[in-house]
Formats: sequence, structure tokens, C-alpha cells
Amino acid sequence: IVSEKDLDDALSELELTLLESDVALPATDAIISSVEKNLVGRHRKIGESVDHLVVHALKAALLDVLGQGFDLKAYIAKHERPVKILFTGVNGTGKTTTVAKIGSWLRKEGFTVVIGAGDTYRAGAIEQIAVHAERLGIRVIQHQEGADPSAVLFDTVEYAKAHKIDVVLADTAGRFHNKANLMSQLEKIKRVMKPDLVVYVDEAVAGNDAVTRAFEFDRTVGADAVVLTKADMDSRGGAAISIAHTIGKPLMFLGVGQAYDDIMPFEPATVVEELLEGGA
Amino acid sequence: MLDNLSSSLKDALKKLAGKTVVDRAAVDDLVKDLQRALISSDVNVKLVMELSKAIRTRSLEEEPPKGMNVREHVLRIVYQELVRLVWASTEVKLEPQTILMAGLQGSGKTTTTAKLARYFQKKGMKVGVICADTFRPGAFDQISTLCTKINVPCFGNPQEKDALKITREGLAALKEQELIIVDTQGRHALEAELIKEIIDLNVLTKATHRWLVIDAALGQQASEQAKRFHEAIGIDGVIITKMDGTAKGGGAMSAVAETKSGIAFIGSGETIEDLERFDPDGFISRLLGM
Ligand SMILES: Nc1nc2c(ncn2[C@@H]2O[C@H](COP(=O)(O)OP(=O)(O)OP(=O)(O)O)[C@@H](O)[C@H]2O)c(=O)[nH]1
Ligand SMILES: Nc1nc2c(ncn2[C@@H]2O[C@H](COP(=O)(O)OP(=O)(O)OP(=O)(O)O)[C@@H](O)[C@H]2O)c(=O)[nH]1
Ligand SMILES: [K+]
Ligand SMILES: [Mg+2]
Ligand SMILES: [Mg+2]
Repeated sequence: IVSEKDLDDALSELELTLLESDVALPATDAIISSVEKNLVGRHRKIGESVDHLVVHALKAALLDVLGQGFDLKAYIAKHERPVKILFTGVNGTGKTTTVAKIGSWLRKEGFTVVIGAGDTYRAGAIEQIAVHAERLGIRVIQHQEGADPSAVLFDTVEYAKAHKIDVVLADTAGRFHNKANLMSQLEKIKRVMKPDLVVYVDEAVAGNDAVTRAFEFDRTVGADAVVLTKADMDSRGGAAISIAHTIGKPLMFLGVGQAYDDIMPFEPATVVEELLEGGA
Repeated sequence: MLDNLSSSLKDALKKLAGKTVVDRAAVDDLVKDLQRALISSDVNVKLVMELSKAIRTRSLEEEPPKGMNVREHVLRIVYQELVRLVWASTEVKLEPQTILMAGLQGSGKTTTTAKLARYFQKKGMKVGVICADTFRPGAFDQISTLCTKINVPCFGNPQEKDALKITREGLAALKEQELIIVDTQGRHALEAELIKEIIDLNVLTKATHRWLVIDAALGQQASEQAKRFHEAIGIDGVIITKMDGTAKGGGAMSAVAETKSGIAFIGSGETIEDLERFDPDGFISRLLGM
């Protein structure tokens, strides 16, 4: 029979592994204590080490947190066109690049795409998305810098309807969850363009703040799926766990570089392997 | 969550409040809470362990100064150990110089370049900016739009793919300016060719300063990334961006420890004016959630 004391060493080692992999402290606490609760009092098979038992249980717990991922192709297939996808997140996480990557990916999957240049605020933002779209041969709808982003994205949706485009990808300006005026601008965008999916974009290298901002974005404008970028920065992807644990929304893609093809449909098992590589 | 944490740290400190003799168990409690506070602020886990060991040892071994109770004594040690890490305040001189901006993708280099240009301009210096980012679409539009707003000359060429060539031309074109800031494309530790590029840019520009721009939310990767940049070009200052969000900047602090440099500036918003000099007390209080 497994006792609390048996588990202590193995669990505190794994706790460190999770923390060093950027799983936020509250998520780490919750996961470790659920593993402990699960194992205490259980019978151990003959010859099975406590370490093995614990790693096994932790993997199961992490997979449980991450869920199944989000199959965008299947979603589009089942929904009325155009499928409207709104991208949100804090500054610099990779929203615009992700819009370009997903646009390219969807085109290869046989869908038609239009992009809305919904960041009318940041210097160079319209040029950035316009150059991406031009290189990919995707139509982009844009207004002047300083224009109302809701209006741009409304026009983008109208364009998609008129031209029977399958998917609308709406870029937005980065914003922090603690700026009420910027968050209400996002709510307005949502009311006007009525997205089918709100995709929250954060980066794999984010630390504990990943929890706070995912929670706030989900609470205020909602999030249906998550994209994690910059997974190529040698990160072990703990932010995936932090976010999934906090808002319970499926992960859709991982960004793994700056090229258009550097995007991978999310596979929970791979993330868990990477995460535990360091310690288990 | 974070509120709980900070209050648990306060509780731990309270336990020490009335004491005149340092109580081992109470110190251990405090150290444990301190570790949790620092880890949830993204300070590198190994660094947290080192720090907390030092704090524990000093708290137990050092005599509290006369008239100081145990609580104040331990708190003072905590502050001293943290300040020691971030104190080496990067000197910002108002003299002719070249500043090379370095950092991960999306950390805030370009925005900060414009903020710095504004900062030095307001101090009366003649400032010029070179856009050595030949990769990101719209990079030149971004920095040149910002520079136009503040009337700072900005050299770049979106058609050119060679960052070194642009920089060489830019240095010549801007030789009348006293202070040159070179904005570079984002890169990370595993991108060997890009690391080589920034080494070459550092040699070419004979940069006076090489500042590493770090997002306040960067987690455990900060130390490793900073280490690689430091090996490559010798980082002599860190700028923490996006401190107007809710992240605590512990990753950036770990980068400072790794590069043995100081924090030059704090970015606190999206506009050109949102740049602050570093204030250690405020930073540490926030780090501890107090
Ligand atoms: N290494 C790496 N870089 C990425 C990835 N995704 C995006 N980037 C880079 O990160 C930087 C910021 O990306 P953007 O797409 O502009 O980010 P954003 O969220 O739109 O930024 P704002 O609109 O300013 O909030 C750019 O240099 C991108 O090339 C990724 O998966 N890996
Ligand atoms: N709120 C806030 N946003 C910031 C701050 N500094 C930069 N940003 C935003 O962060 C995003 C990325 O900033 P950039 O300056 O483009 O970052 P970069 O490091 O030049 O990006 P790359 O060149 O792609 O590597 C933009 O949306 C900026 O407006 C800050 O201090 N506060
Ligand atoms: K970032
Ligand atoms: Mg963008
Ligand atoms: Mg830039």
C-alpha cells in the first residue's frame, strides 16, 4: 500500500520539474495534490517502484488537464460558411504571425480565406499583416491606421459573405487584460463581427502570468480555443498546462518558428513527453 | 491566488514580529513562503533555491542590529539579498554612444527603441535610429512611423535582406547624430545563424551598450536565453517591458543575475512616453507580492 510518506520525495521532485517547465504555481499545486490524493492508499504492483507509479499518474493527470485538442478542419466542415475566427491576446505573443500561418494552413487544406486587418492601432501593424497576406496570396481587408477595428472586421465578414469565402481570420491589436477600455473595444468587436470562434493566443515561454491573463480574457471576451506560439524557444511548454488548467479550453495549434509552415496541430501526448523530459 | 500568497508571506513575517530570538521554525516557514512568492513571480527556480538558502543562513547566523526586532531583521535580509541581484543599476550617460538592442521575438525591442530615442532626445541629445530588422514584415514601417512622430531620423530599407549592409550604411548616413540606437530582429538562443548575426552587428557597430529587452512575463526560459545572448555579445543592461500588465518580471530579474548587469529601464505602456528608470524598491515589493 502506498503511503503519503512514500510519495513525498517522488512528488517534490516532480513538483520542481513542473515549476522549472513553467507550469504556474497554482496549476502545479493543484496537479500535484490531485496525483497524491489518487495514489495514497492504492496498492502497488509487485516490483513497481514508487517513482514509476508517480510518473505514470502524473502523465495521466497532465493529459487529463490538456484534453483532446481542437480539430479546426472538422469544426469548419460542420459549420455554416463563412466560419469567423477572432484572434486575441496580450501584446507581442504572435497573433498576427499566427493568423498568417493558419491562413496558409487552411489554404493547403483546401479552404478559401480572407484576413481582416483588425489591428489599426500599433505602428506598422497593417503593413505587417498586408505583407504576409500578399506573400500568401490571401485577400486582406484593411482600413487606415486609427480606424475602428470593428468596422474593418465587419467589412471583412461582408466581403467573405459576398464572395463565398470559407473562413474569416480576424487579427486584433495586442492588449492587456487590465486595460478596461481596450477590453471593451474587444467586446465591441465581438458584438459587431459575431465570431464563431475566439482563439486566444499566448506564448509557450510565458511564466505565471499566463494564468492571470488567460483567466481574464476568458472571463471578459471568452475563449473557445488556444494557440501557443514560440514553442521552438526551447521551452518545455508548461504554459499549455497553466492555461488549460485555468480555463479548460482546448489547444488548437503550436507555433514552432517564424516561417508559415512552423505550425503544428496540438498533440497533448507530445507536450507531456517534452514537459517531463527534464525530470522523469 | 497571488493575494493569498502575499498575505501568507505577511503572516510568516508576523509570526516573527514579537520575537526577540530568531526562531528556526519561523524562519523556515518564512523561507518557504518566500520561495513560493518568488517562483510565482517567475524568478528562476534554481536562483530561488540559492537565494532562500542565503536568506535562511544569514537570518539564523547574523545578530539583529540593536533595536531591530527579528521580523525587521529577516525582512531586511530578504530585501538586501534581492537588491544585491538587481542593484547594479545600469548607468545611463548623456554622451555620444551606440546602443544595440537585443532580445527574443516580440519582447518589445522596436517599441523600446522609439521610447529610448525619445528619452535621449528630451535630454537634449541628437538621436538617430537604424532599423537592422530585415526579416519581420512591416518592421521598417513600424519603427519609421514611431520615429517620424518624434522627429528622429530613421535609417532602413525594407528591400534589403542584409542587416549588416543596412547597418553599415546607416552608421554612415547618421554620422551627424550623437547617439545611435540599432533595432534588431527578434531571435532566440537556438537560432545559431541569428546569434551569429548579432555578434557581427555588435562588432560592426562597436556598440557602447548591448541591452537585452525582456518581456515581464517571460518565465523560466529567461536565464537560459540571457546566458546565450550574454555569451554572444556581452549584455550590459536589461530592459523589462510590459510592466503595465500583471506579470512580475521575475524572469527578467533572473536574466539580470545571469548577465551580472543591471536594469536600465522599465517599459510601462505602448506609447513612446511609457518608459521609466528602474526603481529597485518598487520592483522588489511587486516581486514579493507585497
Ligand atoms: N520563434 C518564434 N517566433 C514567433 C512565433 N510566432 C511569432 N513569432 C515572432 O514573434 C514576433 C511577434 O509576432 P506578432 O505576430 O507580430 O505578434 P502579435 O501578437 O501580433 O503582436 P502585437 O500585434 O504587437 O500584439 C514576430 O517577430 C514573429 O515573427 C513562433 O512560433 N516562434
Ligand atoms: N503594454 C505594453 N506593450 C508594450 C510595451 N512594450 C512593447 N509593447 C507592445 O508589445 C508588442 C511587441 O512590441 P515590439 O516592439 O514590436 O517587439 P519587438 O521585440 O520589436 O518584436 P520583433 O521585432 O518581432 O522581435 C507591441 O504590441 C508593442 O506595442 C510595454 O511596455 N507595455
Ligand atoms: K512576448
Ligand atoms: Mg499583431
Ligand atoms: Mg521589432
